[in-house]
Amino acid sequence: MSDLARGMAEAARLLLSGDRELYGIILRSLMISGLATLLAMGVGVPLGYGLARGRFPGRTLVLGAVNTGMGMPPVVVGLVVWLLLTRSGPLGSLDLVYTKQAMVAAQLLIATPLVVGFTAASIQALPVQLPDLLRSLGAGRAQTLWTISREARLGLLAAVMAGFGAIISEVGASMTVGGNLRGSTRVLTTAIVTETSRGNLPLALALGLMLLVLSFAVNLLLTVLQQRRVG
Amino acid sequence: MDVVLNDVRFGRNGRTVLDIPALSFAGGTTTAVFGPNGAGKTTLLRLIAGLEQPKTGEVRVGGVEPGRNPAARRRVAFAFQEAVFLGRSVRRNLDFALRLHGIDQSERRARIHDVADECGIGPVLERPARRLSTGEAQRANLARALVLRAPVTLLDEPLAGIDRVARAQLLEDLPRLLATFAATTILVTHDREEAFRLADHMVILIDGAVRTAGPTGEVYRRPSDRQTAAMLGYTLLRLGDSWLAVPPGALGLGGGGGCPEFTLLVERAVDMGSHFHLLGTIGGVKVDLRLAAGAPLPAPGATIRVHAQFHIHMR
Amino acid sequence: MTPRPAAFSVLSALSALSALSVLSVFSVLSAQAAGDMILATTTSTQDSGLLDSLLPPFQAARGVHVKVIAVGTAAALEMARRGDADAVLVHSPEDERQYVESGDLVRGRLIMHNDFLIVGPAGDPAGVGSAPDAVEAVRRIARAGAFVARGDGSGTEKKELALWKAAGIDPRTIAKREETGQGMGATLFVAEQRQGYTLADRATYLALRERLTVVPLFEGDPVLLNVYHAYLVNPAKHPGVHLEAARAFLDFLVAPETQRLIGEFGRARLGQPLFVADAGKAESEVGRAVER
Repeated sequence: MSDLARGMAEAARLLLSGDRELYGIILRSLMISGLATLLAMGVGVPLGYGLARGRFPGRTLVLGAVNTGMGMPPVVVGLVVWLLLTRSGPLGSLDLVYTKQAMVAAQLLIATPLVVGFTAASIQALPVQLPDLLRSLGAGRAQTLWTISREARLGLLAAVMAGFGAIISEVGASMTVGGNLRGSTRVLTTAIVTETSRGNLPLALALGLMLLVLSFAVNLLLTVLQQRRVG
Repeated sequence: MDVVLNDVRFGRNGRTVLDIPALSFAGGTTTAVFGPNGAGKTTLLRLIAGLEQPKTGEVRVGGVEPGRNPAARRRVAFAFQEAVFLGRSVRRNLDFALRLHGIDQSERRARIHDVADECGIGPVLERPARRLSTGEAQRANLARALVLRAPVTLLDEPLAGIDRVARAQLLEDLPRLLATFAATTILVTHDREEAFRLADHMVILIDGAVRTAGPTGEVYRRPSDRQTAAMLGYTLLRLGDSWLAVPPGALGLGGGGGCPEFTLLVERAVDMGSHFHLLGTIGGVKVDLRLAAGAPLPAPGATIRVHAQFHIHMR
Repeated sequence: MTPRPAAFSVLSALSALSALSVLSVFSVLSAQAAGDMILATTTSTQDSGLLDSLLPPFQAARGVHVKVIAVGTAAALEMARRGDADAVLVHSPEDERQYVESGDLVRGRLIMHNDFLIVGPAGDPAGVGSAPDAVEAVRRIARAGAFVARGDGSGTEKKELALWKAAGIDPRTIAKREETGQGMGATLFVAEQRQGYTLADRATYLALRERLTVVPLFEGDPVLLNVYHAYLVNPAKHPGVHLEAARAFLDFLVAPETQRLIGEFGRARLGQPLFVADAGKAESEVGRAVER
């Protein structure tokens, strides 16, 4: 209990002192996971829509794969990505291992199945004739997409929260693929591991608390958006 | 604005759903597309709305193919059989449709006010559209189509699925609403009464083909074939090796001096107070007959002679 | 049904492609390619903080960005064998020999050494403090004490296992021996919790000394020397190795100024330096007089 109190005190002290390294870590976590989430939405929402509305052979198989992907251990994804990007691996000459870009790529792979799954579910829950209605009213492609997205708002924002939540809090892939390099690929989760293994428990706790607060803040914002009543 | 179909064929899963060499709806008319379930009536509407493309031939609304682009589709306002709304209030649903049609804000307000008044949905304007009762939803669905004042308005079974009282009221209001807000109207129904009450023109669609088309009175007076006659409410009675189409109420008691005569087997007679209602069969076909009060009442099982005052020979 | 779904899947394939191209453009713009290198080293080396103080001047002077990947000795050596690193800094000479012989590691240089301590509870229930040598010390622990081991394939673990072997004891038969599978810091803290014995490198112990009540009970036996060598990953075997950067780093490590820094590292913070700089010496000279 006193450890927890010390953690909270340490967290407050570090934040208020404007510790550059700490702020760097926080910003880096946000940027990497934020970018990965945005890209996951860009790839996953259209895929989810296509999966929900399309009728093609093997559709059930693909849905099954997506649902499996949603539960895929991030550390496995990290290992696979690392094997691809490492110096001796097939993509070694790209020099992407132990970089932020590699972390974004790994996190993108973790978040995308979640986004696809949630999007498909939310689109399937819409009235079947909704696209027809919009077409008959003379809505163009972009307008139709925008309106359907607004109608599926609840599920789509859940998709964002699920994707972001999964990757901001994961440590295995970030550690393996990023290397936890101080000043370049160290993020909140990997920093917590480092400090814990060094025995700096108050600092580790402080970082953990900050991660919680960060996660809560983002999710609160998204929840507000999601729950806004449309008159 | 008129609607013209030329050599249109449409199929699904290898089955031909519609085969229409020629069909047109003149501008300003209200036409009922009347036929049994599965005749292809909804498909016809979808083709006119530009939601489907014909396999062969072409559909033109005011000379333009509706499927071509969003602007072409905006010429047609389509109220689906099952109302689909956005998850917003009724007002915002109407507003959304108007905005898509490029109507500016003050005009939108005015139109919504008018149509809500006329369609009787004023009280539910602010309610979430998905939480209306069936009757309210049908009216809101109708209102959304009417508020657009599109050159062509399509209504798919506008009176389906609502309770008798609400239906009677809407049936009463609809002609006035169409006159006020719609230009060319095509409505689909499988109910004879609706067709006769609402439309000045009629198209009989059976099994994907047009049997007859024309002004309602003419279509009624000149059924093109037995199936059409049956749909229009005629009773078909065999006479030798041809058939007679007898309109309701055209049977009279006894011989009719020159009119075709039949033998009716009485099932039962009901005393309706002002008259008797006789139910029976002629050659196995169910018929009914009105007898003036005071006439002798035939007993069940008795056979009586009747004649057809009006009839049409059919092949 | 509407043709929409196909259109949207095309759209998402396009998004995927653009995501990939964003990432690769990003990487091309910011990759320092030839100017960076991957150094595989051990967690204890990393945790000592030595590299944190040596690398910034090196990176500034030579423009080489060093990515330090700290894993266990076994993993670091394997990285070299697979060609996943450009240079290696480890402290397990017996294992290193194997990789030199197989041609995976080349141009080995002696860099520095520190030593291991046997730390344990102040009361020393096993009587480790009075043992004549390290082997006897561990024998006494097996008899009467609790031992906390690394169990993570590190150089420290190898040293520990070598001691058991020399004492003729199979570590798995020791009832009160636990493996943490973690780094030196974590292992020390577990030992602290258990008030047990453990084998710790001096650097990590000194860094954590203030938070521990377990104390060094045995030191000084030459067998406890922890000697650090740096190697290049063989470019002949792994052409992808960033040779120039790696060479520059090795040259830097043995340069007189760096060696001076190594010899002074830790004195200000902990009262004594953590390492002894050895570059240029013969292997046999190392640790001749382990003075503290």
